[in-house]
Amino acid sequence: MTTRGELKARIEGLITGFEAGQQVDAAARDELIEDLATWQAKRIPEYGRLQRHGAWPPALPTDVFRFRRIAAHPKEDDLRVFRSSGTTSSERSVHAYGDLDLYDVAARAAARYMLFPDVEKMVLVILAPHEHEAPDSSLEYMLARFAEWFGTQCTWVWRDGALDLGLLTEHLHQAEASEEAVAVLGTSFAFVHAEDGLGARRFELAPGSRVMQTGGYKGRSREVNPEVLLASISARFGVGAPRIINEFGATELSSQMYETTLREDIDGPMGPRRLWVPPWVRATPVDPDTLQPVHGETVGILRIDDAANLDSVCCIQTADLARRLDDGIVVLGRAPGASPRGCSLAADQALGAQ
Amino acid sequence: MTDDASVVRAHAASVLEAGATLRSSTLEARAQWLADSAATLMKDAHDRRDALSEATGLSVPMVEWATRTTLDTIREDSMLALARTVRRGTDRDLDPVTMLSVILAGNVFTASVRGIVIPLLLGVPVLVKASSGETVFPALLRDALRSASTQLGAAMNVVAFSGGDVECEAALVESAEVVSVYGSDETVAAVAARIGDTPLVAHGHGVSVAYCGAHALDEAHIGNTIESLSLDICAYDQRGCLSPQLIYVEQSPHRSAADFAERLSEEGLGPMGSTLPRGTLPVSVGAAQAQWRGIAEVEGTLLRGNTHAVSIREREPIRWSPAYRNVTIAPVRGVDEALRAMQAIGPHLKCVGTDTGSLSEVEARLADSSPLSAYTCPIGEMQTPPLDAPADGHPIWHALLRN
Repeated sequence: MTTRGELKARIEGLITGFEAGQQVDAAARDELIEDLATWQAKRIPEYGRLQRHGAWPPALPTDVFRFRRIAAHPKEDDLRVFRSSGTTSSERSVHAYGDLDLYDVAARAAARYMLFPDVEKMVLVILAPHEHEAPDSSLEYMLARFAEWFGTQCTWVWRDGALDLGLLTEHLHQAEASEEAVAVLGTSFAFVHAEDGLGARRFELAPGSRVMQTGGYKGRSREVNPEVLLASISARFGVGAPRIINEFGATELSSQMYETTLREDIDGPMGPRRLWVPPWVRATPVDPDTLQPVHGETVGILRIDDAANLDSVCCIQTADLARRLDDGIVVLGRAPGASPRGCSLAADQALGAQ
Repeated sequence: MTDDASVVRAHAASVLEAGATLRSSTLEARAQWLADSAATLMKDAHDRRDALSEATGLSVPMVEWATRTTLDTIREDSMLALARTVRRGTDRDLDPVTMLSVILAGNVFTASVRGIVIPLLLGVPVLVKASSGETVFPALLRDALRSASTQLGAAMNVVAFSGGDVECEAALVESAEVVSVYGSDETVAAVAARIGDTPLVAHGHGVSVAYCGAHALDEAHIGNTIESLSLDICAYDQRGCLSPQLIYVEQSPHRSAADFAERLSEEGLGPMGSTLPRGTLPVSVGAAQAQWRGIAEVEGTLLRGNTHAVSIREREPIRWSPAYRNVTIAPVRGVDEALRAMQAIGPHLKCVGTDTGSLSEVEARLADSSPLSAYTCPIGEMQTPPLDAPADGHPIWHALLRN
């Protein structure tokens, strides 16, 4: 019988192998996901109730994380519990971890490949709360690890629940003066608030600088068309559009996807802007009736099978609309009517937006 | 089709002016014209069924069914009977308001019929703002009215503009004595905030449920029960406020809720997927459907068909479905438990369909239940209310008369 230790070793081997430059065999990944789902179905009753349709294991809807504890380990073994944004408990997804090793391995490998492929470490400026201020946010946890793994120095310009525009300006001016490349990381809403608050102040960050933004608009504050925001960030920080990328993550997942343009700007050739799917993850638009993969570039609802989700459920059915594009996917946003939530909302609430 | 504020204002003025002529006609003449219009509209809607299907998102057979069952109620005798009911309780002549403005929603395209025909019958001219997604049917209705009578046709017109266009909205309502709004609670609240003191008839967010007593599930009745419920669920793809989302089923030693759900799925909803096919499922609704179905499976049992699903689960907590033929069966011990569950829905509960054996009891119990103002009817008729059926707890002619 497969043990947790064996599964963890296989997952870790897949991800670290990729990090070491090995080709990941899709068939091996699929087999791992199959074994993982079988193991999880035996330990998580909610998941065990789902019926299989088609070739893949059933996918657990993200909304279930709002109503039920989805974990293969007992509550007393929780090491960290991440919650999505929201104002009431029924609006917040809860993802309990008894072990963050795989989260860390997956987050590091994906960010290294897509966000920091050309540098060991660099200066980080983060437009989000420190993890001490938001201990149940998976985004804040990930950014804190980025500071450890990829930062020569790191400044959180979000302090005491507010975006510190003075501190942001000071650090960006320092970066300009030293001509040192900087990575500006944060939520989309934080960039909107920076845009609104910085007035005429503009920056010309050194070549090699980059921006990572994440999260949607949640219908809770000023909504900015993603293309408009991209252009605004580019003009504001003096960073070329290819070097500004979106990260797609979710409380229910342990792995992240990144837009391709930064990596392609460095390595070439440049393709269309799309999300890169880590090779230990399957991201598939599916038909809403049959839950089977849609053909070609048809819009479907995004199913994500994340092998790094060991102690919860690896096969997740999101409410996001998506389509395939080349070797990646494009997420078209949350379907109207689906519960708005996500990392970005915590920042918006901290700013007092309604 | 999009109108600007000057066009809306001009239409409002001409409709208002036509009211005097309309009121000078007899009620009998108006009933005759309206019945003639319904006959014309039936034919025109058949000819334009593909366009209506595209505009509404319903399948062609569903469009045809909806048109037929709605227009069948627009008969001379039913309208005169309604007028007699309206007159009951007053010995004076009817004193209709000078003009009604109606803001339509797009979920049930035929909802406009009662909301337009009854005012016209009572002598009230009507200016209609069509839903931004569905202008075909209101325009056909207008043309049918014009073909029946110039007097009648002049007293109704249709405008279209984007929701939230404050200038157009002001032009729509400024000449109206009463405004009627179909739509979400947000739409109703937004319009209410903008129209000041003008009386508002709100047709906001609503849901409906059904109740089946144990005798409706016995072998002699179950076939009819399944057929009736399937029609109620499938009509308008369950998108209307009269569509049952939840069916409370009395537990019976002879028939489990699971057995009933299985037969409803296989013998009712499945075959109806062929005779009255579901329209195209918008992918955004599909996303909500996948979430709802998954939760239903986690919290109970889910039976999936090609274009429907039946969830069997405890009555609480209520998980509202995204419609499109996704329905919940909740076993209860009897009417008492079902009514307790309905209390949580409050004023949003629009209609309770029941088997005929339970109808009088449910009706009486609902009448005694102050937070609920739901209309009661037999299952199989939830989506085909008679002309005089109340709406949102009020008589259908509410606010159209001054006396």
